[in-house]
Amino acid sequence: MELEKFSYDNKIVKAFIIATVVFGLVGMLVGLTIALQLVWPIFNFDLQYTTFGRIRPLHTNAIIFAFVGNAMFAGVYYSMQRLLKTRMFNDTLSWINFWGWQTIILAAAITLPLGMTTSKEYAELEWPIDIAITLIWVVFGINMIGTILKRREQHMYVAIWFYIATFVTVAVLHVVNSFEMPVTLFKSYSFYAGVQDALVQWWYGHNAVAFFLTTPFLGLMYYYLPKAANRPVYSYRLSIIHFWSLIFIYIWAGPHHLLYSTLPDWAQSLGVVFSIMLIAPSWGGMLNGLLTLRGAWDRVREDVVLKFFVVAVTAYGMATLEGPLLSLKNINAIAHFTDWIVAHVHVGGLGWNGFMIFGMLYWLVPKMWDTKIYSNKLANLHFWLGTLGIIFYALPMYISGVVQSLMWKEFNAEGFLVYKNFLETTVQILPLHMLRATGGALYLTGAIIMTYNLIKTAYAGKFIANEDAEAAPLTTAAHGGTGWHAVLERKPLVFTTLALVAILIGGAIEMVPTFLIKSNVPTIASVKPYTPLELHGRDIYIREGCVNCHSQLVRPFRSETERYGEYSKSGEYVYDHPFLWGSKRTGPDLQRIGGKYNDSWHYYHMYDPGSVSAGSIMPSYPWLFEQVIDKDGTAGKISALRTIGVPYAEGFEEVANADMDKQAARIVENLQLEGIEVVPDAEIIALIAYLQRLGTDIKVKDAGVVANQ
Amino acid sequence: MKNRILFLFTLLLPLGAMAQDAAPAKTFWDDPINHPMTPFYALMVLVGVVTVLVFVVAIMLLQVLNTFVEKAAQEKAAALGIAYVKEPSWWTKLDRKLTNAVPMEKEATVMLDHNYDGIRELDNHLPPWWKWLFYGTIVWGVIYFVVYHVTDNAPLQEQEYENEVAMADAQLKKLRAAQPVASIDEEALAYTNDAALISKGQAIYKSNCASCHKDNGEGGIGPNLTDEYWLHGGSIKNIYATVKNGVPDKGMISWSAILKPEEMRDVSFFIMSIRGTNPANPKAPQGTVWKDTEVKTESVKVDSVQAQAGM
Repeated sequence: MELEKFSYDNKIVKAFIIATVVFGLVGMLVGLTIALQLVWPIFNFDLQYTTFGRIRPLHTNAIIFAFVGNAMFAGVYYSMQRLLKTRMFNDTLSWINFWGWQTIILAAAITLPLGMTTSKEYAELEWPIDIAITLIWVVFGINMIGTILKRREQHMYVAIWFYIATFVTVAVLHVVNSFEMPVTLFKSYSFYAGVQDALVQWWYGHNAVAFFLTTPFLGLMYYYLPKAANRPVYSYRLSIIHFWSLIFIYIWAGPHHLLYSTLPDWAQSLGVVFSIMLIAPSWGGMLNGLLTLRGAWDRVREDVVLKFFVVAVTAYGMATLEGPLLSLKNINAIAHFTDWIVAHVHVGGLGWNGFMIFGMLYWLVPKMWDTKIYSNKLANLHFWLGTLGIIFYALPMYISGVVQSLMWKEFNAEGFLVYKNFLETTVQILPLHMLRATGGALYLTGAIIMTYNLIKTAYAGKFIANEDAEAAPLTTAAHGGTGWHAVLERKPLVFTTLALVAILIGGAIEMVPTFLIKSNVPTIASVKPYTPLELHGRDIYIREGCVNCHSQLVRPFRSETERYGEYSKSGEYVYDHPFLWGSKRTGPDLQRIGGKYNDSWHYYHMYDPGSVSAGSIMPSYPWLFEQVIDKDGTAGKISALRTIGVPYAEGFEEVANADMDKQAARIVENLQLEGIEVVPDAEIIALIAYLQRLGTDIKVKDAGVVANQ
Repeated sequence: MKNRILFLFTLLLPLGAMAQDAAPAKTFWDDPINHPMTPFYALMVLVGVVTVLVFVVAIMLLQVLNTFVEKAAQEKAAALGIAYVKEPSWWTKLDRKLTNAVPMEKEATVMLDHNYDGIRELDNHLPPWWKWLFYGTIVWGVIYFVVYHVTDNAPLQEQEYENEVAMADAQLKKLRAAQPVASIDEEALAYTNDAALISKGQAIYKSNCASCHKDNGEGGIGPNLTDEYWLHGGSIKNIYATVKNGVPDKGMISWSAILKPEEMRDVSFFIMSIRGTNPANPKAPQGTVWKDTEVKTESVKVDSVQAQAGM
């Protein structure tokens, strides 16, 4: 048969590689900054745009979507062309994908420090950017499916399966979780409220880890690891079984982020059991990776690319065993809300994603520039700095998580909490946070060395923009493998549909009953919508990213009800668009803060936390005392919320501002009694109103829990 | 070196001195040499070192033995005129058993005929341990769900919470029965100028009250505690009641869940002791002038300390 001549597009891969390196450095630098902020509040720079609450989402978004995202595109664009023996479907689509993605990142880098956020973790970007992400993702999908359809290789290799699963699942996750009601160009309210919002968010959040950080990287592993090791993949049937079981089971596990929350018990239990069942499918990937190295272990000692891959795959194995164990209720009760979780995700992020990317770059750049790596020594130095960085990061955080959690829970014989003041437990772990920052600095140093090494490599070689290739055209006659899966590998559209079905089942079974069956969220008669002033306060709370450090969820533990008050009920959150439960307690829970202190306490505390709580690491918020509430926005907020089900009376918009002035005047008066003069429209007034309302609804007399039948 | 060994020996000697060492507050690191547990730790370290040494020697001996056996086998094979095949090591055997992998030499038998950009695939068996792990977790998952949601044999979170609280209550009751606390009779509470109690109270004040009432009681977020103006009464009974019950509307929390009755008394005594001290930067007066003869009864809620402690 005559061979067809064509070329692979390396230019698009090069562009994504550059973006990967640049945003990797930026994301890590922001990460180091927030690590320092958690020890020395001075690193908040007393600027509203650089406080922890605003730039922590910048760090996570930069790492996940800019660093890992661009690396994923680079790796996929390079490997897919070669695995399918064709150039990408359409070069223009490739470049729309590239520039579109970079524009989204730029928009994120601008809006997040400005406080434009939905507050939902890893989905903080506001609605116009959400739409842009959807469009660009679809462009990527069309380009990918198009490439698969015009392939010259009859069967789709396992890496392609993972790319397909990534595309369909991320599309579904992103669209469903981003249902929101726009108020202004950069402000929206989540379509879902309270416990339902929490369920959707963590179905998304958990599977963003699964289908943005894991499945594409397993696909990359299946290409780059056997290539670099020059060994056959260990087991085809293991690939099949672990692929399908992984994507089917992963999607169910989201509720393990909500253990001991007000999510119905049955949904929590589903999260637990599917997390445990996930151990073997995850380890299937690790085993197939490590066993592929059989007979190549002697080369691992010399080849820096393989070294990075081995640590990456091992870190993947550790993180995917740890994750299910953290989903057990008794372990979760200790680990949730603590640094343990932060350590866990960084073993995955720094170890699995970071090291896969580094290994891939050290392999790709010399290939694409047709040369050798500039310095093996520097690459080795990077490897060791990175490994040490991970250790210095993770170990102190494990210790810190356990220490703090045990301090939160410690009772003395008299039945009193030993560490009544939350701050005591924070101060205790600061030295460990310093060590963590050291680990981060080591890791970043390694990445900087890599950048230098890669640039030198590129300059030494000559870039091959279009790599010539030839292959026989696709034949219709089936060859190789007649098993059911081999047949499936020849039918990309059927394959894609089946993958879609596999990932829809779990989410649907968990979400539909939680939304439709009212008894899953018992209503509480005394819970009322927020007043306009409180609503403004809540939006300020969201804007400042308070949720990054403060939870609003008292779990049913004696140590928490003693510290904070009555444990949370799902009926309390029915008007919370979005929910603000948080996932980390750097500071205390705020669900029952309402009425605990007087208005002047909050006033002084927000102005200078250290003056009220000596040694506090919370930043100051002086701008809240100068900026005024945006009264013009009140009506829009009220009607937007009414549209999505909050029972504000018709026409309430017109009187909302008057209502707000009345409530503000009471707070101003309270402050005046304490000798504080304040502008009545200052944002701090709204924030105080919100904080004083928090968790007080169930204390209203005659409150009763009524299950709506 | 000799000195160090001697030192180790001396650690082993004073076993009998353990009983005499009666300084309970000292941790091991304060004085490692004289700590009662030191000989035990030292012994453990020694046992550990010896164990490692024994292992190392044993492995070396085994290796030597192995060479002899191998040599004999080789000679035997040579004598019989057949090729010598080396026995696979226990590690190789274990690895094979766990992974059920086709040996590298025979890989060609499981090599698939595909070739993706140079990548070949083997079709090895699923590692048996992995397969059983998968089955095991599925069975575990089914059992878990049945136990929690079908047969209701394990407590769900609300029940778990109630059990936890009940257990703590029972424990506290037991403790109270064994060692009753001198209760504080709020009705008969009288201020005494007891320096020891006041200094205890001062420490409690510093860590709990000073953030709002400031270090010297001059007031900040909370009122000035040193002047003659009081919002909720200035008698010792009033102050104790305010500390205990709090004034929730004004942001003074109830301290009864945080401080023990004696602690609340001591801190109330301290507050009594700083009256009239005129600290710098006093907060403007709040409330009414307090005269010692009045008793502001309505804010003193009678409820026994035992009942609170037994909570």
